[in-house]
Amino acid sequence: MKVSYNWLRELAPITLGPRELAERLTMAGLAVDSVERVGDDHILDFDLISNRPDTLSHRGIAREAAVICGASLPPLPIQLTESDEPIASFASVAIEDPDLCPRYVARLVKGVKVGQSPAWLAARLESIGQRSINNIADITNYVMFELGQPIHAFDFSRLQGHRIVVRRATDREQMTTLDGVTRELSAEMLVIADAARPVGIAGVMGGEDSEISDQTTDVLIESAYFNPTSIRRTSQQLGLDTEASYRFSRGGDYLGQELAANRTAQLILELAGGSLSRGAIDVYPAPISRDPVRLRGPRVKHLTGLDVKLERSAEILSALQFEVETDSRQSELTATPPSFRVDITREVDLVEEVARHFGYDLIDQTLPVSAGAGSYLPGESERRGIRRMLADIGFDEAISFSFVNGERDRLFSEPGRAPVTLANPIDINEGEMRSSLLAGLLESTERNFNHDRRDIRLFELGRVFSGSRGERPEERVKLALVMTGRASNEDWRARRDLDFYDIKGAVESIADSANMRGFTIERSSVEYLHPGQSASLIRDGIALAHFGRLHPRVASLYKFRQPVFVAEIDYESIAQQGSIKYSALPRLPSAARDISALVPDQVLWGDIEKGIRDLTIEEIASIKVFDVYTGSGVPDGTRSLAFRVVYRGQNRTLTDEEIASMHGRVSELLERRFGARLR
Amino acid sequence: MDEKLALLRKQFLQDAALVSGPDDLASLRDKYLGRKSGLIVSEKKKIGTLAAEARSEFGRLVNELSADVESEIARLTDHFARQAEAAELDREKIDVTLPGSAPRRGHLHPITIVRQRIEDVFVSMGYTVEDGPEIETSFYNFDALNIPPGHPARDPADTFYLSDDLALRSQTSTVQIRTMQKRRPPLRVIAPGRVFRRDTPDATHNPMFFQLEGLTVDHNITMADLKGTIQIFVEKMFGPDLRTRFRPSYFPFTEPSAEVDFSCYVCGGSGCRTCKGTGWIELGGSGMVHPNVLQGVGVDPEEYSGFAFGLGIDRMAALMYDIDDIRLFFENDIRFLEQFV
Repeated sequence: MKVSYNWLRELAPITLGPRELAERLTMAGLAVDSVERVGDDHILDFDLISNRPDTLSHRGIAREAAVICGASLPPLPIQLTESDEPIASFASVAIEDPDLCPRYVARLVKGVKVGQSPAWLAARLESIGQRSINNIADITNYVMFELGQPIHAFDFSRLQGHRIVVRRATDREQMTTLDGVTRELSAEMLVIADAARPVGIAGVMGGEDSEISDQTTDVLIESAYFNPTSIRRTSQQLGLDTEASYRFSRGGDYLGQELAANRTAQLILELAGGSLSRGAIDVYPAPISRDPVRLRGPRVKHLTGLDVKLERSAEILSALQFEVETDSRQSELTATPPSFRVDITREVDLVEEVARHFGYDLIDQTLPVSAGAGSYLPGESERRGIRRMLADIGFDEAISFSFVNGERDRLFSEPGRAPVTLANPIDINEGEMRSSLLAGLLESTERNFNHDRRDIRLFELGRVFSGSRGERPEERVKLALVMTGRASNEDWRARRDLDFYDIKGAVESIADSANMRGFTIERSSVEYLHPGQSASLIRDGIALAHFGRLHPRVASLYKFRQPVFVAEIDYESIAQQGSIKYSALPRLPSAARDISALVPDQVLWGDIEKGIRDLTIEEIASIKVFDVYTGSGVPDGTRSLAFRVVYRGQNRTLTDEEIASMHGRVSELLERRFGARLR
Repeated sequence: MDEKLALLRKQFLQDAALVSGPDDLASLRDKYLGRKSGLIVSEKKKIGTLAAEARSEFGRLVNELSADVESEIARLTDHFARQAEAAELDREKIDVTLPGSAPRRGHLHPITIVRQRIEDVFVSMGYTVEDGPEIETSFYNFDALNIPPGHPARDPADTFYLSDDLALRSQTSTVQIRTMQKRRPPLRVIAPGRVFRRDTPDATHNPMFFQLEGLTVDHNITMADLKGTIQIFVEKMFGPDLRTRFRPSYFPFTEPSAEVDFSCYVCGGSGCRTCKGTGWIELGGSGMVHPNVLQGVGVDPEEYSGFAFGLGIDRMAALMYDIDDIRLFFENDIRFLEQFV
């Protein structure tokens, strides 16, 4: 909000220069974003807080400025010359819905001359960013920016029956507002009507029909107080934000209507002539009152640490126009907030008033007494470990939006899961809470491809959501990986592309890093994975991770032209595995024996390894494959496997004969059970 | 006899001068030191045949010549060995300016890096890190935080809703409430996490961001404790000798409330691009926990008081790394991510 420094000085005895005043107001909670010199004036641009509608005017700012300067706001002197004819003989006002309009004040000026505003008025409005329209409209604006009370001026001759009726609109009632737009109203909106039709949307915008024009001679001044919530809803429903609705919806001064109407009348008489009908119509069926708020002397120190004497608190509150009474023992006071301070309801509110004018900068810096040792979230050390490990093996950490395109997300959903849908997404295409991290990671992959980065490794650790109707959706932490491109990018020698075994290795590293035990990795058929390159990590019959190559059908939706490998892990199930138990280092020597064999294609290495383990030869210390080959010299339908078996005695060194006998059983298994031909 | 030895020495030196490689050297050694017919060896054999008076003189001369020849041959042997080694090393010479081969390294997200640092600072000050759901009920997201029905913060233009009662949390202050329901004071808690507000993305807004909420509740907690705590935090995060400033402000769940600024760590307060010329950088909102909030979770505001503060983790990361467009945080562009080593 723009505020003129010169205007402020007309309203209060301000002893500070514009920049110093701006600084002091900021430190009192009225934040000034900038001070700009304009002609012989300075314009202060405020960024005001939402619970202080009393500051949305020059007089409101001047009130705070006066207190800062050790003074208080003087009254605004208004002298009015009235004609003998009372307003009641010309006009009437009826409030049909006092819940939405607690007060309505009207004054009537007859015989005005509508024309251009004098230069000073036009210039002043312009300096705070307002366009000059005509003298009457400018005066209503001027009064709003001066006092914070929005004023509406009607062309009195256009009001049918010379009557104002404040009522709810009828459903689908129509009217054309000042901006020339015909609007359809609804039954919860408040309108200002004449005897026949609405002539204004209360607190939002006046009607075109009764607008002040060059022909206007008689002006009815409206100065009212409306229900803030009602004005906010109406303004939102109509998509119509005005300076008036902005102020009304924050809650104005319920006693400020008369002053503002008089100020308007005074300026009209001065600048547009005419004669003011005697008295005002003031419909105020249920006067609003405020309860006094108690402030106990020590409370300021208890909450802020500031040592403020009760006397000083009383001074500050009085200067801010609270009605203050101090008890006889000087131990507490009661302060009745002025009608414009809608934000004050409790003792702490008074504490803040005192503290901000006494000075937040005088508050000391102390530290609370220690209450014990701090601690991280359970599992944070493991999460940090996993993140670091993944970064060290080449993955960049991604963070994606929690809401995604539902259609994409469902590609990766577990079957039977109900989507968690936003009622009001920003983008209708991203209106579901993610059930998997993969949609986000693949979208990022797509984006990186578009930037011509083709070697990509990303991981994300974050929550996914799954719903069940009517209940709070479940939130679960997952860990997902995506990798594609070269195995060692930036390397000018090796040019191997990433394959299934790289994503498998990454998953195994995660399992190892989480100290997981007792799991197997099995061929699986996950819908979004390539049927021949899909595997799952399984423990106790439950799949805790799926990984493999993205199904070509899914890849083509993303227009991927190179193989992309993904993994998604149920992080909560693998996190926090058991503690580490040391096992003794072997003291006896071991002996290694290699086997090279031609094996039919349908035989999986995992089956061979399991077969050897099932021989339950306790002396076998390890089985490791070291070469897999197909191609020249290997018959079609077979592949050449080479692996090493290491034997070690449990209590003594094995003899050559013993090793040969055990190794013989392994070779025999290969030939008999798996149809292998030893080479 | 002397002349003959002198002649032999001369002949050897001439031959030695012509040796051009290890093969020549082998022939040279053979010619002079060969066990059967080496010229020096033949002379040595003569020593025994000479008269006693001549024997000693001749023997001395022959041995002297023999030692010289051996030493010259040893020198040449060594010379050719060095030459061969040099040639071998030369063959193994490579272009050391080609890029080194290191396994590819990944990077933590800048928000993770900053979140971990913030957590470290507060844990060292005795805070416990807490967590809560990202989908919240109106009770936790609004009612318990003194945001009554009809308050603009509840507006569907600002908050994402799943249903009338469920929303994406718009602040991690929800965790304050959950913690205070679970545990009694004294409390020292921080809650970092994702929050959501219905802002259209631009360079300074995202509909999702990361916030950190802090809460201390105990006997006799004052705003001075809040100031001291924030001061230490700012020093640990942005550097020593920085000042903090508290400006009165408004938040529904604190009263009195304060906006916290700290002196610009780039220019020291004189005004620069980072602080937009003001010398101050906005850190976040704070204040004394509103008595309505304390009463709502059954903590007596007459017995206990507390402070709370909220910081934007993304904002802090943007400040620290000088990031001018925060949309980059969630685009996962590798060109961005790989800068955070």
